[in-house]
Amino acid sequence: MNAEASGRVEASEFLPAAIPISSSHTASMDEIGSPELSPKLRADLLDLDAWGPILATYGRTMRVAVALTDDRGRVLGKCHNAQPVWMLVHGAAPVRRAGCPFCITTGPPCAAVDEALQTDTVVIVRDEAGLTHVAVPLLLGKRHLGAIIAGQVFDRYPETMSLRRIAKEFGVSAQELWNVARKQRPVGIAMLQASGDLLCALGHAFLQQRYGAILEAKLAAANGRFRLLIEGARDCALFTMDLTGRVTSWNGGAQRLLGYAEAEIVGQNFSCMYTAEDIQNRVPEKQLRKALQAGRAENEGWRVRSNREQFWGNVNITAMLEGAGPVGGCAIVMQDATERREIAVVLEESRQERTRLQEKLLSHVSHELRTPLTAIYLFTTNVLDGLLGDLNPEQREHLTFALDNVKQLKSMVSDLLEITRVETHKLTVEPQHVNPVKLIAEVLGTCLTNAAVKKVNLRSDVAPSLPFIWADPARVRQILTNLIDNGIKFTPADGTVTVASRPLVGNDDCLTLSISDTGCGIGPENRDIIFDRLAQIESATEASRSGLGLGLFISKELVSRHGGRIWVESQLGHGSTFFFTLPVFSLAKLCAPVFTAPNLEAGSVTLIAVDILPVAGAVQADIVSEIRKVLERCIHPAQDMLLPSMSDAEPVETFFLVACTDARGFNVIARRIGRELQTFDNSSKLKPIISSTTLLIAPSESSDMQVREITVRIEQLVQAHLLDKEPLK
Amino acid sequence: MNGKKILIVDDDQQLVLGLTARLKANGYKVVCATDAISAITVARKEAPDLVILDIGLPAGDGFLVIERMRDLPDLVATPVIVLSARDPTDNKKRALDAGALAFFQKPLDNHEFLTAIRQAMGEAIALSAFLKT
Repeated sequence: MNAEASGRVEASEFLPAAIPISSSHTASMDEIGSPELSPKLRADLLDLDAWGPILATYGRTMRVAVALTDDRGRVLGKCHNAQPVWMLVHGAAPVRRAGCPFCITTGPPCAAVDEALQTDTVVIVRDEAGLTHVAVPLLLGKRHLGAIIAGQVFDRYPETMSLRRIAKEFGVSAQELWNVARKQRPVGIAMLQASGDLLCALGHAFLQQRYGAILEAKLAAANGRFRLLIEGARDCALFTMDLTGRVTSWNGGAQRLLGYAEAEIVGQNFSCMYTAEDIQNRVPEKQLRKALQAGRAENEGWRVRSNREQFWGNVNITAMLEGAGPVGGCAIVMQDATERREIAVVLEESRQERTRLQEKLLSHVSHELRTPLTAIYLFTTNVLDGLLGDLNPEQREHLTFALDNVKQLKSMVSDLLEITRVETHKLTVEPQHVNPVKLIAEVLGTCLTNAAVKKVNLRSDVAPSLPFIWADPARVRQILTNLIDNGIKFTPADGTVTVASRPLVGNDDCLTLSISDTGCGIGPENRDIIFDRLAQIESATEASRSGLGLGLFISKELVSRHGGRIWVESQLGHGSTFFFTLPVFSLAKLCAPVFTAPNLEAGSVTLIAVDILPVAGAVQADIVSEIRKVLERCIHPAQDMLLPSMSDAEPVETFFLVACTDARGFNVIARRIGRELQTFDNSSKLKPIISSTTLLIAPSESSDMQVREITVRIEQLVQAHLLDKEPLK
Repeated sequence: MNGKKILIVDDDQQLVLGLTARLKANGYKVVCATDAISAITVARKEAPDLVILDIGLPAGDGFLVIERMRDLPDLVATPVIVLSARDPTDNKKRALDAGALAFFQKPLDNHEFLTAIRQAMGEAIALSAFLKT
């Protein structure tokens, strides 16, 4: 009974030729979609060295043969405690039958292992010799791992008839087989069932234990690797802390960077790495809170080593989740960024220094050029204007040339200064309510002389009335002058430069102006670069190559600061047309910050007109701007608005205020304005007249509609008021 | 000849010479000073109707001159026009805040400059009369 099979029973001896259930088995795996166990993990789970003693003990105790198989029923390792009858038969014909290794049969072998795995139950089978075995499934979750087969015992007294047939079939002596079988003690079927169940529980428990042990070993290995990695990160301080900021672990890099040994720092609050000022400002707590709330916080700042030395630290705090549960603490990665910061600071300083020097140089150059230029201008104009006696025509002509050159130099010096302003972000525009028609006419007037000298026709194709624009008149003049002068410069004699306006389409919010010439044109490859600084196209005729080539660059900067755009359309040999856009004045847009829903809900808008009448003479321009400042002080910036001067005449002694208030509120504002103006004009040279019109708002309309209607109404009132005033002037 | 008196304060002798000729041709009397201290002395002595002031001056600067003038009762009302080669970006506001009426950057434009002088003195004489062209 205790005799074991001598030598190892090789799995190949029992290898079935083909087991059809294996494919269906794979299919079922796919169905459940469980991830496949890796061959390595499979081998580890069914490690014979681990299973061997368990199976041997079980076999001996239960007096049955027992063997471990893979998921297709192939024996792994040896069959423990093989029983005599089975040994005798198999010893005679070891490779006689494929299939179940325990079955002694001439027919098809049993599929107990497969059935056990599919049904996850213990399956009992009796073979032709009358020997019984049980197949116990080994499953990990739903994954079929293998099985244990136990048995090779009679569950009742052996039958001579069937043994004789088997002896004949397998070529064994019938007498010998009977003798062996007679001595083998039967085990009752109930006992077999019970021992099968026991084996199932045992196998399952052992498998789980084995699986746990493998995972634990893997985890330990991963931990070890992780620890090595952390310890190996020499340039990085890596440490963890709990929710209160107490350090819980500390790597070698942290020790190198911050100077604390692990034993010193663990248990201490991480705020000891911050400066006294940061601690006072509760910076460490704030950063920890931020990391805990957002999951992550990154910051840079001065950090302190154990020897109180400071360094510029880049700190990354990451909240650590424990499974799906709450945050268990934080992991911190800290790096010394002192050097990087120093380089960045030096770079920034040198950049600023370079800009400053450039600015200083350019403004110095511009200043130094202007002084002699002024003297040349004064003397030239003095002589030219006959202040020192009459001139003959030739002298006059020569001096006119000199004056033209002075003007050219003057504009170049101005351009230089503008470039400095662009680079130092000091190029500013102060938008006003401007009549473009009037402005264009003015500019054309100043450009006429220049055009006449070059015998170029200057033409205006501007609509007689255009909407007012919201722009800085001095800057628009500059843009127009640049573009017209540019056109004149590149147009041969008898050519034409035309300034035109494009008709407004729908409710366009910008006005497009164009300046076209009949000059040499610009090739497609140059159309973008001409707006770059110092750009002047190579092919330009030598005569035209005057100036610094800054005009278009400055114009582009000025247009873009107005919120417009500038571009060119051109064909080589057929002239060029420069277009630029400027925003159309919109009272609605201007008043938008004041006409908010709560302000409009108040129900009324009051237009206040302040007319300043001088007691004697006219109000001077500078006084007008001072009065503007006084009025600005009288208004509430969120509720009231001082409208820009909306008249063509300059200076205008009428000011308009839009206030979201009723008649009572108007009285308060009027009193305030009166008081402030009195303080300003203490000698009483001015006489202010303050009047108002209240606009009631129908509450049913949408706020957009409301704003549109109110602004239209205000515009009408302003125009009417100004017209009304006209005869007074 | 309207006989109004203008004080030019500038350390550039040639500018003073050129500008004086232009102003005299327009009927003004011209006196001059070349530094910040003599500017005040001359102004108190001559009581000009207008001061044309440079900013970069020896012994102080134009801003200082305006401030000093505003402290003196006899000069507090005298209009000042600044004429400087400096960048108007910051200097214009500073000059106007100090009490100047206008800021001109060199090189000036005769037409604009004379118009400003005329306006500053509250004169209402046709432009053409000022420009001897």
